[in-house]
Amino acid sequence: MPAATPTPERPALTVDGLHVTVGRGRTEAVRDVSFTVRAGEAVGLVGESGSGKTLTCRSVLGLLAPGVAVSAGRISLGDTALTGLDERAWQQVRGSRLGAVFQDPGSYLNPSLTVGRQLAEPLRTRHRLSRTEARRRAVELFASVGLRDPETVHDRYPHELSGGMLQRVLIAIAVSGEPELLVADEATTALDTVVQAEVLDLLDRLRAERGLALLLVTHDLAVVAEVSDRLLVFYAGEIVEDGPTAEVVAAPAHPYTEALLRVASLGDRGRRELAVIPGRPPEPGTAGPGCRFAPRCAYATDVCSAGPVALAPVAPAPVPGDHRRAVRCLRAAELALQGAATPDRTEVPA
Amino acid sequence: MTVTTEAPTAARPTTAPAGARLSIRGLDVSYRRGEQVLSGVDLDARAGEILGVIGETGSGKTTLARAVVGLAPVTGGRITVDGEDRTALRGRALREARRAGTVQYMFQDPLRSLDPDLTVSRLVGEPLAVARIPKEEREGRVATALDQVGLDRALAGRTPGRLSGGQRQRVALARAIVTRPRLLLADEPVSALDASNRNHVLRLLDRLRHELGLAVVVISHDLDSLAGVADRIAVLYRGRVVEEGPAEAVLTEPLHPYSALLAASAPSLDPAHRADLALLRSPAARPPAASGCAFAHRCPFADADCAPRPAAVRPHPGRSAACHHAPDWRGRLAR
Amino acid sequence: MSAVRTVARQPVAKAALAALALVALLAVFGGRLAPLDPLAQDTAHILQGPGGAHLLGTDYLGRDVLSRLLAGTGLSVVAAVEAVGAAMLLGVLPGIASVRFAPALTWVSLRAVDALMTLPFTLFAIAAVGVLGNGLHQAMLALGVLLAPLFFRVTRAAALGLDRAQYVEAAELMGAGRLHILRIHVWRKVLPTVAVTTAHALATSLLTVASLTFLGIGVQPPAPTWGGMLASDLGFLAQQPWAPALPAALIMFTVGALNLLADAVRDADPADHPADQAPDQAPDGTASGQGAGTPDRSTDAPKEKADARRHAHA
Repeated sequence: MPAATPTPERPALTVDGLHVTVGRGRTEAVRDVSFTVRAGEAVGLVGESGSGKTLTCRSVLGLLAPGVAVSAGRISLGDTALTGLDERAWQQVRGSRLGAVFQDPGSYLNPSLTVGRQLAEPLRTRHRLSRTEARRRAVELFASVGLRDPETVHDRYPHELSGGMLQRVLIAIAVSGEPELLVADEATTALDTVVQAEVLDLLDRLRAERGLALLLVTHDLAVVAEVSDRLLVFYAGEIVEDGPTAEVVAAPAHPYTEALLRVASLGDRGRRELAVIPGRPPEPGTAGPGCRFAPRCAYATDVCSAGPVALAPVAPAPVPGDHRRAVRCLRAAELALQGAATPDRTEVPA
Repeated sequence: MTVTTEAPTAARPTTAPAGARLSIRGLDVSYRRGEQVLSGVDLDARAGEILGVIGETGSGKTTLARAVVGLAPVTGGRITVDGEDRTALRGRALREARRAGTVQYMFQDPLRSLDPDLTVSRLVGEPLAVARIPKEEREGRVATALDQVGLDRALAGRTPGRLSGGQRQRVALARAIVTRPRLLLADEPVSALDASNRNHVLRLLDRLRHELGLAVVVISHDLDSLAGVADRIAVLYRGRVVEEGPAEAVLTEPLHPYSALLAASAPSLDPAHRADLALLRSPAARPPAASGCAFAHRCPFADADCAPRPAAVRPHPGRSAACHHAPDWRGRLAR
Repeated sequence: MSAVRTVARQPVAKAALAALALVALLAVFGGRLAPLDPLAQDTAHILQGPGGAHLLGTDYLGRDVLSRLLAGTGLSVVAAVEAVGAAMLLGVLPGIASVRFAPALTWVSLRAVDALMTLPFTLFAIAAVGVLGNGLHQAMLALGVLLAPLFFRVTRAAALGLDRAQYVEAAELMGAGRLHILRIHVWRKVLPTVAVTTAHALATSLLTVASLTFLGIGVQPPAPTWGGMLASDLGFLAQQPWAPALPAALIMFTVGALNLLADAVRDADPADHPADQAPDQAPDGTASGQGAGTPDRSTDAPKEKADARRHAHA
């Protein structure tokens, strides 16, 4: 935890018992998801497509598609309850206290306005700044997100900028309202490797400098493993593992986490047999009563599918009463799962 | 009087190593005059080999593959497949060559390259239908192709919209191998897939090149999707090959500063790698130079020596890098 | 074809198709179904109300209205179909082909089409009839020429979008010829657009036949058509105010059915029609997994098509 948190007791974001249903049949796509993000903390939500990570993130942002609804649970930003806000209240929260960046930055910008104007306008209305003052602030913000030559960028139109630059512009817009929480939903997925690393560095820096709470949603375990303090592994709408990133990656407690790590093959640059996870996740609403991963799990026994499996603290806890790690697996205690290989250094500096 | 007409075979580049299925020599491509997308590209791919081509957006990697199948305006150089010149093909000859299906190009996004109204069996059978292969034979070959890519035959009646991303990619792959090609160019075949599906498709490519004796060129911006399967990797930067060599060597001991930056930028669990990354990034931005080394403007090691265009140096057999400082940049990194 | 099947499943389309089938039956058998000779003048019963020997009454010459309506169906419908057929012939194929025209030819054809579109239907028909002689076929050919730009523009727009489609490029890479690409890839996408345009054009020409007959152009007086009857009935409004309602109702009935059908064809996108997606739909994770929560990539395809179609209508 690099950044000092002013009030560690009160998290920036609290999600408690979140349930999300989809469609007319009210199929449960997210079930009983609870977690917190403290100021200055980066939490990563990871899982395959359809695992519920994106729906969880959209619930936090109040951006659920029509037909998708939060059916139970509470989401609060600081002391403000977000569940049940009307659209006007949402817009106020989203503009200032909650920032978000998404996968395709180009589609969130107006193509017919310069990017500087799109950043400066909200600044002007919110802080009643003069035109020149707003411009100065916008240029400052652009510089702070690592855009080179921010004066020039200010007067560019979105189509004149590369994907990486657009993502930086969106980050500048997202942090311009001094938010408490920044949500990055697959924000680096479409970027080139070099640019992705730069943007991840930027997010990490913003978190440290501004004490931002960071919620990273991605299907790429390598990305969250690198920048998040805490990792939540989603599978079929449930959290299956929750714990400090380094610990989870080094010694996963859930077979699904182990499989994800094996598939991601972090830092392994040699030729090898690539791992796959057999089978597919269950469709929402079709999961059996027991562990939802059991049909694809190499360690599953009959008990696994028999009844509901609770998200329980990893036993034995490293410190008695330490609930920092939790796992939804009946056999967690008896399995010795393989973590990511000890980081082998990329031989760059020889 | 002796009239020497140059036979087409005599024009074959002598530099191509024996057994090179795809051989590219001095390839230049430009869509607009004065704007070269590819410049002086040399590459080889052998049968049964996977060649990874890695580069960022705009590096020309897609254009490279499109040039091989005749979809990009080649302004110079030569592309041969099994010794046969592909750049000279026009009109009927080009169409005949395409119908033979020896060279296949897999588009990046199967959702766009597969007609949304056609069923899987018609999509996979289309190249055969175009080549006027009788229906009975077609059906058998389509079924075989579906088996080879591990697609359930029960899906044959579905349209692409009703398949998952991984399944669609496999349909595209089945369509590519149904003509029994000798060279397969796959453009970002896994960039839209999650890790498990990605590995699935990569394993398929790995298996198929052995089974079918294919030469495979996999184009990707993502190093991780090449690391596990590619035998050799070529790094493309602003239209030029800056480094080429055995995959593991290029990724772990890069000779070119750009390859090193790429390799170090991939997410890693090792906190120390960020320090390396900082050393490889250019401290200040400069506008790209019109001539000389293409990477100089972003290179922390660039100096006056980098003004002329670097020739490829070959410090080890099978490896090459186009960098004036290939021998010494690493030493300066340690400072 | 799945699009046709999907359309036929919609209740609105079913009703419209039934109505059009009835009109078609009348067009073919109307003359034989007529209880009396549509041309026979019953001078003893001029402008008579419904009832008695004449079920729907008689016109100003004592001719049986019911018989004239039935017998007139054929001529009215055939004329409309003729006009639209000519328009399609002149519009659809050049429209698709124009995508591959040389730039100069494209420019010329587009300007020619623009010029044609500025001409008013009725005046052009009058002029054509003046040159070619007064006859239904001449008038309908003229109408067809004027309707052709509609088809040309619509198919060109649809084909333009498709020409840049990647699956067309993929087919070219297989060595496919133009004909294969047109037949397999382009035609299916253009067809719904053409169907909508056809329905609208049929309705337009049916009404134009009526107004031309009203002016005495095209149809020679004794032959009954819906438009002709409407025209003559309007002359005797004082005696029989309800009489024009009968042919008018038939015209409205047919045009309405065509418009409903056209709407049904436009709305029926086989890809996003729920009934088309069987319960076994469930594509695995990567496609539908995100559920309705995220803009799913798999929905892009129908959207693109809808866009292309909207573009075509613009």
